[in-house]
Amino acid sequence: MSAETVDSGTGPAPRKGVSILFGLTLLGLLLFLWLLLGLATNSFWTPNNISNLLRQGAMTAILAVGQTFVIITAGIDLSVGAVVGFTSVIVAWLLAAGVPLWIAIILTLAFGVLIGAFHAFGIVRMGLPPFIITLATLTSLRGIGLLITNGSTISITNEAFTNFSRADFLGVPSLFWMVIVVAIPAYVFLHLSRFGRYLFAVGSNSEAARLSGVNVHRTIYLAYILSSTCAAFVGLLLASRIGIGNATQAEGWELQAIASSVIGGTSLFGAVGSVHGPLLGAFILATINNGANLLNVNSFWQRIITGVLIIVIVYFDQLRRRGAR
Amino acid sequence: MPGLDELSQHKSDGLRTAARHPVPKGEPILEMRALQKKYGAVEALKPASITFLSGEVHAIVGENGAGKSTLIKLLTGVIRRTSGEVFWCGKLVQLDNPQEAIARGINAVHQEVVLCPHLSVAANMFLGDEINNAGLMRKRAMTEAAQSVLDDLGFNLPAAATLGSLTIGQQQLVATARAAMRGTQFLIFDEPTAYLTRQESAQLFRLIRRLQGEGVTIVYISHRMEEVFELADRVSVLRDGTHVGTRKIGETNDAELITLMINRTIEQIYHKEHFAVGEPIIETRGLSGPGFEDVSLTVRAGEIVGLYGLIGAGRSEFALGLYGRHAATAGEVYWQGRKVNIANERKAMDLGIALAPESRRDQGLCLNLPIGLNINLPIFNRLTRGLTINRQKEIENADRQIRDLKIKTPSRRVLASAMSGGNQQKIVIGKWLSHGAKLFIFDEPTVGVDVGTKAEIYRLFARLLENGAGIILISSYLPEVYELSDRLHVFRRGRLVASHDYRAASHEEVLTQAIGV
Repeated sequence: MSAETVDSGTGPAPRKGVSILFGLTLLGLLLFLWLLLGLATNSFWTPNNISNLLRQGAMTAILAVGQTFVIITAGIDLSVGAVVGFTSVIVAWLLAAGVPLWIAIILTLAFGVLIGAFHAFGIVRMGLPPFIITLATLTSLRGIGLLITNGSTISITNEAFTNFSRADFLGVPSLFWMVIVVAIPAYVFLHLSRFGRYLFAVGSNSEAARLSGVNVHRTIYLAYILSSTCAAFVGLLLASRIGIGNATQAEGWELQAIASSVIGGTSLFGAVGSVHGPLLGAFILATINNGANLLNVNSFWQRIITGVLIIVIVYFDQLRRRGAR
Repeated sequence: MPGLDELSQHKSDGLRTAARHPVPKGEPILEMRALQKKYGAVEALKPASITFLSGEVHAIVGENGAGKSTLIKLLTGVIRRTSGEVFWCGKLVQLDNPQEAIARGINAVHQEVVLCPHLSVAANMFLGDEINNAGLMRKRAMTEAAQSVLDDLGFNLPAAATLGSLTIGQQQLVATARAAMRGTQFLIFDEPTAYLTRQESAQLFRLIRRLQGEGVTIVYISHRMEEVFELADRVSVLRDGTHVGTRKIGETNDAELITLMINRTIEQIYHKEHFAVGEPIIETRGLSGPGFEDVSLTVRAGEIVGLYGLIGAGRSEFALGLYGRHAATAGEVYWQGRKVNIANERKAMDLGIALAPESRRDQGLCLNLPIGLNINLPIFNRLTRGLTINRQKEIENADRQIRDLKIKTPSRRVLASAMSGGNQQKIVIGKWLSHGAKLFIFDEPTVGVDVGTKAEIYRLFARLLENGAGIILISSYLPEVYELSDRLHVFRRGRLVASHDYRAASHEEVLTQAIGV
């Protein structure tokens, strides 16, 4: 009889309050890490290093935002790392074939849309679990990319394209600007538009959403297309940054993206998540890697620290949610 | 039950041995003295003193939120009491954890089955108490033993079947059998028949009488008066956390009990107003689909059309078919005289059909989302201006439904899962009131809903009819459809088998048609 919990006035704290509070604690953690590294090293607060940090975090952050849309529907997209590698090959291939830059970019993004649509098709029409269909594309996309490049890499000679990732705008790396370019529409989409509400509803109870007139299939298509398109966009950024197309790049980035999302308060059970959370999560992970490098911590330790951090952050998040109840 | 004794013998620690010496029949077995539970400043159970006599069936009735669940949790050691004392077989006991309660022989069968759906029936019955041979489970022995227990109880259930393949009612019987074979002295049933068919209920009642015959004390919690009168020796009434009285069953009647529970009479609950019946809103001709066949009926403005039948008779499937959830395989639907093809839910909503589905948990609500989001879910397209949702309107609409329907919540941001059954039903209804409709389908709208909220829901029906809407009311609770329907259709095995005007047939007649004997 849950009426008693309500009558006693100890119902769960308002969801919004929790979300903002959690956002603030994460921001606090990030600032704390920055402060700590500033004190512990001389090189942290140098323009060079900050730019570097922002570049490092940017790509994971964009992947994490796309991943979050999918996780909110109670799904998962394991393919994003493979999509990044694959689309870096596509754009390099198109440029090498003499396709004009802007057409190459649009076509590459279109590949992202197609891959996402294929995932949704597998889930909605073939009834495959998201884990399976995206696991399948994870391996096949790497294979297709390797077939195209015959196992090697394709160099990109277009300077306008490769210079982009090194450029700054208003003193901030252009890669970081891309995070903002993705995050603002993503925020509007998830938190201000009805489609965002539908993502949450589908993730919470798809049958109830359907009986309330929500087009569940379309919502799932939307989530997976957005995730893959974000990944294709990151593929472009990566190709620009390393100047080659290589199908084996971005190995394990899907796990980085999922970790960022989960650190940012997204629930793998669906229906809980935000846009600012995974952004903070991605930059927390980037900061740890960056700081560990500066402090000369063995890179093997970095992986361990990241793992421990995921456990600790998600554990405290759950404690607070339970405490609020 | 020789099988049972044999099985419970292989485990005998001190407590269990104690539990196997019950007090003589008719003597107090469990006595609560001024038992109280507070959550913060709120008293969920005000100091209550109830004595349970050995071998009796003791019913506990009360609205949702009256403190029945709190009482069960205290007696089964799930929560700790704030103050008061419990005497078990005359001795003061702590009862502050579930293991102690189980070891003493106190068990509960919960309304929602808490077993493992992927394991076999036998594995569930022996869960945590497996028959071992040198550390290896003796699966066949367990299956045979479980089967003999089930057969002995007359349940006609296969012990080797996967639990999840059974109906919820059958699963509940398994849960009961599980409790029965653990040397239980004191068994609490929490609204056990909510999901049972009549046949399953009858089996359960036989089991309860049989356990009672063996000296087990039964505490039976229910909303349904006729069950209380069929089974119980004594009945205690709770209201707002207060124990308002205990009666011998022969010295009371349902009118008195309801008055004790809610301070309202039966006539006031089944609130019925008659309106002039208008034009047909929807008409089906020979409609067939998954789970129902050849159903022809008409709903007119201003009337309630009741669909009665056993669970699984095809009423909910018909409702879902009408709502476009499943495609019809044959037949026609006419909406206000025009032939229509309702291909999906959105089409149904656009025509003006609203569905409050059978299961709030599985179909009605996004439980881990806020109340406000649930209420607005059907109308976000209307609340959207340009790219974004108009926050002001979103908030206003949610707050208006919460206020109008008197949903007891501090805020629209509280999660739907934190609400009681009655308040959850109000959220479902609120969704459709804000969307608006010509035809409202209410599928089991009062299951798990307290009497006070029931009355509110029935009053709401009258308001909808007054505004020219039509209602299809689906219920497995005969008095409800009987007292409220202007026209009552009886379903059996997917077909419409009989139709009656308001109160034209007797309860017995309707029941016979539904069972089909």
